[in-house]
Amino acid sequence: MTVFATLGATGRATAGILGTMGRVIAFTGQALMWTFRPPLHWRELLVQLVQIGWLSLPVVGLTALFTGGALALQIYAGSARFSAEFAVPSITAIGMVRELGPVLGGLMVAARVASSIAAEIGTMKVSEQIDALRTLAVEPMQYLTVPRLLAATLAMPVLVAVGDAIGILGGYAVGVSRLGFDGPTYLRNTLDFLEFWDVGSGMVKGAVFGFLVALSGCYFGMHSGRGAQGVGEATKSAVVLASILILTANYLLTEAFFSA
Amino acid sequence: MIRARDIHKSFGAKKVLRGISFEVEKGESLVVIGGSGTGKSVLLKCLLGLERANAGTVEVAGLTDPKPQILAAQVGMLFQGGALFDSLPVWQNIAFRLMRGRARLSHSDAQALAIEKLARVGLGPETAHLFPAELSGGMQKRVGLARAIAGDPPVLFFDEPTAGLDPIMAAVINALIREVVSDLGATAVTITHDMRTVHDVADRVAMLHEGNFYWQGSAREAFETDDPVMRQFTQGLTEGPIPTLR
Repeated sequence: MTVFATLGATGRATAGILGTMGRVIAFTGQALMWTFRPPLHWRELLVQLVQIGWLSLPVVGLTALFTGGALALQIYAGSARFSAEFAVPSITAIGMVRELGPVLGGLMVAARVASSIAAEIGTMKVSEQIDALRTLAVEPMQYLTVPRLLAATLAMPVLVAVGDAIGILGGYAVGVSRLGFDGPTYLRNTLDFLEFWDVGSGMVKGAVFGFLVALSGCYFGMHSGRGAQGVGEATKSAVVLASILILTANYLLTEAFFSA
Repeated sequence: MIRARDIHKSFGAKKVLRGISFEVEKGESLVVIGGSGTGKSVLLKCLLGLERANAGTVEVAGLTDPKPQILAAQVGMLFQGGALFDSLPVWQNIAFRLMRGRARLSHSDAQALAIEKLARVGLGPETAHLFPAELSGGMQKRVGLARAIAGDPPVLFFDEPTAGLDPIMAAVINALIREVVSDLGATAVTITHDMRTVHDVADRVAMLHEGNFYWQGSAREAFETDDPVMRQFTQGLTEGPIPTLR
């Protein structure tokens, strides 16, 4: 009996996950279709660029600053075992721009933006504002989802680039003040070993992560349940899905970009 | 102007609407009453195209089973909570539809139209630049009404227009509804529990009970009938054929 109950529960959970995956994929298809259909709501796009891009700069910048500093300390401790301390600037920079900048930036934006998108759209749904949009001849997917997807996809690469620069600056500050590196030498080592694709791949990851963050927020907002509990559940689910998608996409993109 | 033929709507195993058929003539004001959870709002959403009926046909302003976006120019809707867009000032809420599409109004024309509609519902031009969160419940209802009549639509829908308002403000909103419907010569459908709204707004009353229109008649007949279901509902009696545990 216990075995059957366990099997039943596992089956239901699997069916639930597959059902959600199917709905998210269908939602993505719909969102992409609406992206290429005029009109584009420019005012909404500009508002979202400010909300998602500009207002995320402090949190992404602070995260990058301290991550860059900690990374320099860790690499110094590790490389000292092989007398390879000279590699600290270049490895710190490569680690920031390829992995930690986009991934940590993406996760911070997921926490900040996916939750706020889900809460905003969920509240609009609960208070019948989405029905009101439709009765006023505006398609909610086009007015709410498309500007957020575009804004997040466009803003995230810029956030990643700024985060990369601040993270390298954090490594530089720790390297010069705590690890005894010469400032100009640290910078030269950083720039000499950094290739264009190191930075470019991180920005491409950023664009993909931005899309996934906005997608999660919009999906759970549009499918929010009733009342405060429904909106709260949507907010939580949006952050969880966005984080999982970012980490999964990061592995797949790293495999695609850098595996021999 | 509005025709519904054999509308059925279920949610899972629960049958909410069971073959409703009715007509509302041009210029007539129909008020639909019924207990909580009897499907009044679902019926309204089916008429607006926000919900698709499982069976049956809806015709509004000559359009058969239209999508809400197609119906928009013909219909104005006052939602129960106002459903104003929080991120936009009052004037942009009112002129929202008219600022979009090929024949969109300029900013200045849209603002002038919004101020004119605000005056129509008894609000001054200073309200135009406030945001919905800065308005009282009564003002939100008035702004919602101004938005509903912004395009002078021939059909108006009202979902619980006096819900959450004090009796004085409810009377004001009822009077405004009566006036704007009359001025526009509009066909109106109102969903309500409020017997004052029935008295003030209705040309005809329909009682939704067990998924169908159980009773129809004039407002006066609604209050004078001996039908036990109608009497229990209009007088708010706890004893009667309508179960109190729903």
